[in-house]
Amino acid sequence: MLNDHSPQAHDIMLLWWWMLGAGAVVLLGALAMLLIGYITRKRPGLPFFGTRESVPQIMVLVFGIAIPAVVLVVLFAVADVYLVGKTSPPSPKSTAMTIHVIGRQWWWEVDYPGTGVVTANEIHIPTRTRINVVATTGDVIHSFWVPSLNRKIDMIPGRLNRVLLYASNPGAYRGQCSQFCGLEHARMALWVFAQPKAQFEAWLHGQERLAAKPSTNAERLGEAYFLSDQCASCHTIAGTPARGDVGPNLTHVGSRATLAALTIPNTPYWMSKWIANPQAIKPGVQMPDLGVPPAQIKDIVAYLESLK
Amino acid sequence: MATVITPAGQRHVERLEKIWAPRAGVLGWLMTTDHKRIGIMYFFTALAFFGAGGVEAEIIRTQLMTPNNHLIGPQAYDEVFTMHGITMIFLFVIPMTTGAFGNYLLPLMIGARDMAFPRMNALSYWVYLASGLFMYYSLANGHAPNAGWFDYVPLAERAFDPGNNIDFYGYGLIFNGISSTMASINFIVTIFKMRAPGMSLNRMPLFCYAFLATSLALLFALPSLTVACIFLELDRELGFHFYDPHFGGDPLLWQNLFWIFGHPEVYIIILPAFAIATAIIPTFSHRRMVAFPLVALAEILVAFLGFGVWVHHMLTVGFATIVYVYFTAASLIITIPSAIQIFSWIATIVSGKPQFKTPLLFICGFIVYFIIGGLSGITLAAIPFDQQVHDSYYVVAHFHFVIFGAAVFPILGGMYFWFPKVTGKMYRERWGQVSFWLTALGTMVTFMPMHIVGIIGMPRRNWTYPSGLGWAGYNLSETIGAYILLAGLLTIFANLAWSLWRGEPAGNDPWGGDTLEWSTTSPPPVYNYPVIPTVSSPYPMWDTADRERDNRRLERGEGLMELGHQTPSSTVQDAELEEVLEMPSSSIWPLLTAASLTAVFASLVLTHYWIAAGFVVVLGCTLIGWHWESLSRHGVMAYEQEAHA
Amino acid sequence: MSDVQLPAGRGAAGVAPAARRRTPQPTGWWGAVLFLCAEVTLFGTMIGSYFYLDFDSHHWPPAGVPMPEILKVSVSTGVVVLMSIPMWRAAKAAQAGRRRETALLIFFAMFWQAAYLGFQIYLWRLDYLQFHPQGSAYGSIYFTLLTTDHAHVLLGILADASILMFILLKGLPRYQRIGVRGLAFYWHVVNVLIICVYLTLLSPRL
Repeated sequence: MLNDHSPQAHDIMLLWWWMLGAGAVVLLGALAMLLIGYITRKRPGLPFFGTRESVPQIMVLVFGIAIPAVVLVVLFAVADVYLVGKTSPPSPKSTAMTIHVIGRQWWWEVDYPGTGVVTANEIHIPTRTRINVVATTGDVIHSFWVPSLNRKIDMIPGRLNRVLLYASNPGAYRGQCSQFCGLEHARMALWVFAQPKAQFEAWLHGQERLAAKPSTNAERLGEAYFLSDQCASCHTIAGTPARGDVGPNLTHVGSRATLAALTIPNTPYWMSKWIANPQAIKPGVQMPDLGVPPAQIKDIVAYLESLK
Repeated sequence: MATVITPAGQRHVERLEKIWAPRAGVLGWLMTTDHKRIGIMYFFTALAFFGAGGVEAEIIRTQLMTPNNHLIGPQAYDEVFTMHGITMIFLFVIPMTTGAFGNYLLPLMIGARDMAFPRMNALSYWVYLASGLFMYYSLANGHAPNAGWFDYVPLAERAFDPGNNIDFYGYGLIFNGISSTMASINFIVTIFKMRAPGMSLNRMPLFCYAFLATSLALLFALPSLTVACIFLELDRELGFHFYDPHFGGDPLLWQNLFWIFGHPEVYIIILPAFAIATAIIPTFSHRRMVAFPLVALAEILVAFLGFGVWVHHMLTVGFATIVYVYFTAASLIITIPSAIQIFSWIATIVSGKPQFKTPLLFICGFIVYFIIGGLSGITLAAIPFDQQVHDSYYVVAHFHFVIFGAAVFPILGGMYFWFPKVTGKMYRERWGQVSFWLTALGTMVTFMPMHIVGIIGMPRRNWTYPSGLGWAGYNLSETIGAYILLAGLLTIFANLAWSLWRGEPAGNDPWGGDTLEWSTTSPPPVYNYPVIPTVSSPYPMWDTADRERDNRRLERGEGLMELGHQTPSSTVQDAELEEVLEMPSSSIWPLLTAASLTAVFASLVLTHYWIAAGFVVVLGCTLIGWHWESLSRHGVMAYEQEAHA
Repeated sequence: MSDVQLPAGRGAAGVAPAARRRTPQPTGWWGAVLFLCAEVTLFGTMIGSYFYLDFDSHHWPPAGVPMPEILKVSVSTGVVVLMSIPMWRAAKAAQAGRRRETALLIFFAMFWQAAYLGFQIYLWRLDYLQFHPQGSAYGSIYFTLLTTDHAHVLLGILADASILMFILLKGLPRYQRIGVRGLAFYWHVVNVLIICVYLTLLSPRL
């Protein structure tokens, strides 16, 4: 949240600094009073005010009711009347684009409605554009949180919640699931890549294409193994018979930055290790140890990495 | 001044000792209905669970000491953090404050000889012990609850959590809730009806006001949790669909039901801490509490207002903004009674002549940490900010400052404060001060960095975290803090244990206390007071005329109630003497009732429903036996006396 | 003889003189009241959950589930609620020490309460033949609320029976008289809850 890259995150951060300042004054005031109590411990009565009983009682009314009431009303007005309007779910009319994010144990399905683009664990958005993120879940409650860009929104079965995403600057913004969702809740992170409009459009067009056809022998073998082994029963690769919807869509997996929701980098080395034994890297993940022979893995990796 | 016993009074004292003599040996403890023995049993049981919860905390902190650590894996971690929360809240803090401190001290503070329902008091303890063992059985067998202490659905439903981990949670909390419900009924009736004649409501110590507020809140909050758990178990065991949106249910129903309980629960946790603080502050400041009526009112108000704010735990679920605005307004309003109390406490200390002995040091620590926790709580009522840091370590920081800093510090201070009264020995003051500073330092170093690491993006309930995000440094210091805190706590218990063995005799009233328990011997006799005390203010020990009057009455043999196990009951508002009650002495029925209730829950969790029904019948029989004992022992006795009076 | 001076004017039956503004109640009565506060809250929570699920859904009851029927339920509810009258009179008779009258009134009430429960179980089974708690959230809350209601009636009947047994075996000492008052109070509260549950479950029709 401290690295804010959107007006919403910035406003919230500013609110935080003001609240921290006011809170520090209160805390230091109380500490000072206790210190005074210690220093004047041999003398009864409040220092400077004498020993009249009505004095501390008036102090309680002032410091216990009047001053807090004023401060709290101000905080309420600023945060819960004014600022809340800016961080509430946007009306779809005020946004330029809609993206659907579906939480699953323990990865993110990302859909761009109207384009047929389905990807996983990465959201690409154009900068300086109001994006309407529609968040829901396919299993348990998750929570979509990209602190640099905005507040979080829970993903609840049976509900379609919405949150605004707006990036002022290009960059890579990390998000992480923030509602405990089971064994690998800790490894359910995502990237939001904000790019200038032209770059974003190029990316989107690339994603709309069907999967690249294999061009080398290894890749051809890899595709064959992918389709004949159990991979196709869980994963989809558009343009091939693979039509599984349990795991992430792999049509353009080669162009992603990470695997397993930011758990490991997307390199041939790590992808091989993942296919060989996913449970060793992310225990509890839904992908079982398939017992794929190492020679096959090499070719499958070559094929998948070619799917840019 | 303490009770002075002359030779004439001694005769009466000896008679009371004989009448109230407890049964000997282990059987005496198993059958006890004496609130002091029950309080001691609660104390040591709660302490054992504190240790278990503490071990769980140290495991969590050690696992999170460095990024990508693998001390324990996610499966074990999820059980450990869930049990840590459940243990600390349901098996430590509430039993320690209400069961140990409340039970032991409340009758003493109101001048009574026992609680209103002594056998039900014993039953509360045995059911608590059984519910704790019930839940820990699951941990010992490797299938402890693992979906967090608030156990959101659908994660906690059978489809996503197929073993019986969550069943130990659902049944266990219903089981534990029975103990707390009975305890709260006992406290309310005791406070209303068993006060010494003359202790009208406006002369009741603040300790009692806080416990009245706590008990009323418990009574009305627990049914929501019970219903939530009943629905959960029906979903899990019998395939019902309360929480399943595919069949018309709603996962948010769980959240609402849970937090309707959960929010008052946090006030139930903190109010007894207020009680202890308001007992210690006047004593060590050597003056009356500033704005006593406002403080008493604030304590009741906090409990009441606490029922109207629960949705502030759900600010990210996607409700309409107007709903959130209402609930955060209510949440901010609760700050006012707390602020009144904080400033009254500080004003009392500053305008008195405070002696900063160990108990008062812990209360000063409590005040500071309560302010920190309270401030972070206020920031969480700012909706956009909450929606950023919800479910991050910022919230973990907030609630640990209010639960550990603000609820546990008075418990620790209270242990030191009443140690001389309960044991008759004095602890070592120098070591006490060291233990305070060590504990306070450990608390700060453990929990302060959590605010920051939460704001920079670390979510809670993560079994590990990656390197390179800037989280590692904060986590390392939090772990170091946890070990400092452990050292502080061990110092406290070492001090108390050593002093129990080798401490100097403490006498009746080492502190110049203001409430009635300081008039008895240390430890108090079984019957608490030889004469039922005269009361004319909330600071009875400082009314020396009244205490002298009691001494004279003891000598003359007035107000002794020595014809049996007797204590007076009085009217609710003005504490006019109403009747003399005959109290049960020892009874096996609480233990038998608790045992059959345990068998019911054990059968349920093992899905042997017909066996469970059979044990319900057994339970019914124990209740009949209980009632039978009431009629044979004292049903006839006491009221014949009344007829002749 | 107690060495404590009790306030003047209190007789064996515990009836306060007219000069007092309020009659103080014994601890057992307070205990019963507070226990019932918890039970009322429990029912309130379940009824609240019913309406929460109702407002959350588009079709309530869902398609395929029949609307609740009114006549049989209304008559039987009327019968059990009327049993508050003999229970109230039993409490009064117990206060006055009239053992036989107390026992007869409790027995009379118990008989009709048991008849009510038996009939309700029959209706419950009829419902179960048409829809299941496992079929929908409506079914879940319907059967749970109803069964919790019946469980409290069963508990009351068992309490009737055991208090009856104690009266027959041990008479009516003061402890027992307070017990009968508590039992009557229990039934008054349960009858109010029965009416609330009845109205709740019939609410789709209203």
